Amino acid sequence: MLDELWRESGAACYGLERERFSEILESVGRAQNFGLAPGTKASRQQQASYFRSVRLADLVLARACANGHPGSWEHFLAIYRQPLTRAAIAITGSETLGRELADQLYAELYGLMTRDGVRRSPLDSYKGRGSLMGWLRTTLAQRHVDHHRRTRRELPLDDPADGYEPQTAVPAPETPSSALLLLSRAIEAALRQLAAEERFLLASYYLDERTLLEIAPLLHVHEATVSRKLHRVTGDLRKQIVRNLQAQGLSKPAAQEALGADPRDLNLNLKKILQITSLNAFQEKATP
Amino acid sequence: MNSTSQLDLHPDGESLNAFAEQALAAPEREQVLAHLAGCSRCRQVIFLAQQAAADAEAPVARPVTQTGAWFWNWRFAWVPAAAMAAALALVVAFHPWHTAPAPEMAKVTPQSEVAAPTPIPQEQTSAGAVHKNAPAHTANPVAGNSLFGAPRKPSVTLEQEPAPSAALTGEPGATAASSGVGNAFLPSSIKSEPQPETAAQLQPEPAVTAWQQEQKQATSAYSASANTSQVSQKSMRAEAYSAHASRPATAASAGPRLAQQSQSATGGSFDLGTQQQLTGLAPSGRVNSPKLPSGQAVVSRATAQHLTLEIDRAGALFLSGDSGEHWQPVPQQWTGRAIEVRAKTSLSGNTAPEMKFELKNETGSTWASADGMTWTAQ
Repeated sequence: MLDELWRESGAACYGLERERFSEILESVGRAQNFGLAPGTKASRQQQASYFRSVRLADLVLARACANGHPGSWEHFLAIYRQPLTRAAIAITGSETLGRELADQLYAELYGLMTRDGVRRSPLDSYKGRGSLMGWLRTTLAQRHVDHHRRTRRELPLDDPADGYEPQTAVPAPETPSSALLLLSRAIEAALRQLAAEERFLLASYYLDERTLLEIAPLLHVHEATVSRKLHRVTGDLRKQIVRNLQAQGLSKPAAQEALGADPRDLNLNLKKILQITSLNAFQEKATP
Repeated sequence: MNSTSQLDLHPDGESLNAFAEQALAAPEREQVLAHLAGCSRCRQVIFLAQQAAADAEAPVARPVTQTGAWFWNWRFAWVPAAAMAAALALVVAFHPWHTAPAPEMAKVTPQSEVAAPTPIPQEQTSAGAVHKNAPAHTANPVAGNSLFGAPRKPSVTLEQEPAPSAALTGEPGATAASSGVGNAFLPSSIKSEPQPETAAQLQPEPAVTAWQQEQKQATSAYSASANTSQVSQKSMRAEAYSAHASRPATAASAGPRLAQQSQSATGGSFDLGTQQQLTGLAPSGRVNSPKLPSGQAVVSRATAQHLTLEIDRAGALFLSGDSGEHWQPVPQQWTGRAIEVRAKTSLSGNTAPEMKFELKNETGSTWASADGMTWTAQ
């Protein structure tokens, strides 16, 4: 099968011998445990299935470029140069910044950074599970977001135009009433019980203010399905909060009335709550 | 991605891209999704990458989703199509206007033939027959566009009948009627038509006015001295046209001859009767096989009442008193070679005009005669 994959990948065009190709596949498969859960031993059939799901042509090209093969770089530039620049411009929203971002990534991809005398290229991290172009776009987005976050922290503090306001004396928070305290606990418990997809949905829609059309492709569903899921999640969440309040000793009318409290009065860190791992959520769900 | 439980660590680009492309296995997808639920940075990364992918695919998808592409391609074809339609509409709209003069021009000439009273009964019958044929010519709109086109065919028939013009000369009423009409182009026989419907029919319409003005300029010499004998002049013009039209081969020479006639007519004398030059036609309408005693072709002809004079190519003049049935040579009493003969009259009051002929030689000298036999230098 390796011979077949080697021929199909066109690795010989980039000077990759069969042995080197086999090493690459082996390293990629083991790093991902052949697509299985950690700790699971993959059979030969599962390994073969995993290898066939890998984008071998993109993987071979990326590894050949990482190795500095001239022909592979010519091929890479011919295919990805222009799309990568367009993607960078789309990500940054600026022609200048986009070209600068793309050029910077090219320099990194070529392996300017060396470690222990060995040229390192980000292309080594590509494992062929998605398309190489998608990987390049995601890498560009990562670079841009990280750069934006870094430079945002470096904004001058005395620039009021950037939304900075000097801290004034903040009044001491009032001691929450028992009802609000109960409500905060009930909400936190309800959110912790949500599945990862449901939390991702709530975070993307309410916190990031993404549209249904943007969320739907990531979940591989139609936007109408996203809308229905959102409606169902919020309804279930409200019911669960009421149940949690009742479990804490409130009557149903009192629990319904507690839901009408001003959210600004609640002492909740939704970001922290949503960062609960799905594993913990499953564990909590399993607990009666 | 090393661990999703440690929030300081993020999934690498490989995992995020595989998540976005639905290439992750279920366990790992769940891990990435759990991380994305609490990591705004990674959510921002995948949304930006997704947006860039959508922008990259947009130019490819645009032609497919562009349902109106065929319309945009055909839209440019509307411009020349509209221009052609407009041009066609203009042609259709102006076609009747351009062809309007045709029936008028053709209407005038046959009427001049028909309305001309002839003293000869058989020839009058012949004129009526010709008039019946006239509409066939007048119906031709193309002929109306030509200056001489429309009168050609009817004029041939008129040429075959020397009697009408001769009859006009004998009718004082016709002369009096024509003197009151300013339009020198219209034949006198038409103007003298007493029937009102015929007169209305012969009134120049605006469509033919321009053409008539041109004719006025060409015949200004005739009009300038039309105080007393416009009738004969117009009759001569009609016959000159008919002579021109009867033989297309000699059409080019008809114009200059007409000019010569105009010049000669400015001297205060007017032609009366028919006058034909280079026609090759006998007065009876038969195609002129040379009937002159010399056997040569006729180059000029003049008719007044019962007298007919013809000049052959050699310059010899012949006189006929029976409409060309019998000829007698006229002794040369002029110098040089005779090239043209025309009927000439001088009107005085209400008396009948004194018929005379005028002869011109190649040097332009003229001679006059009352009977065609005796000529005196002018």
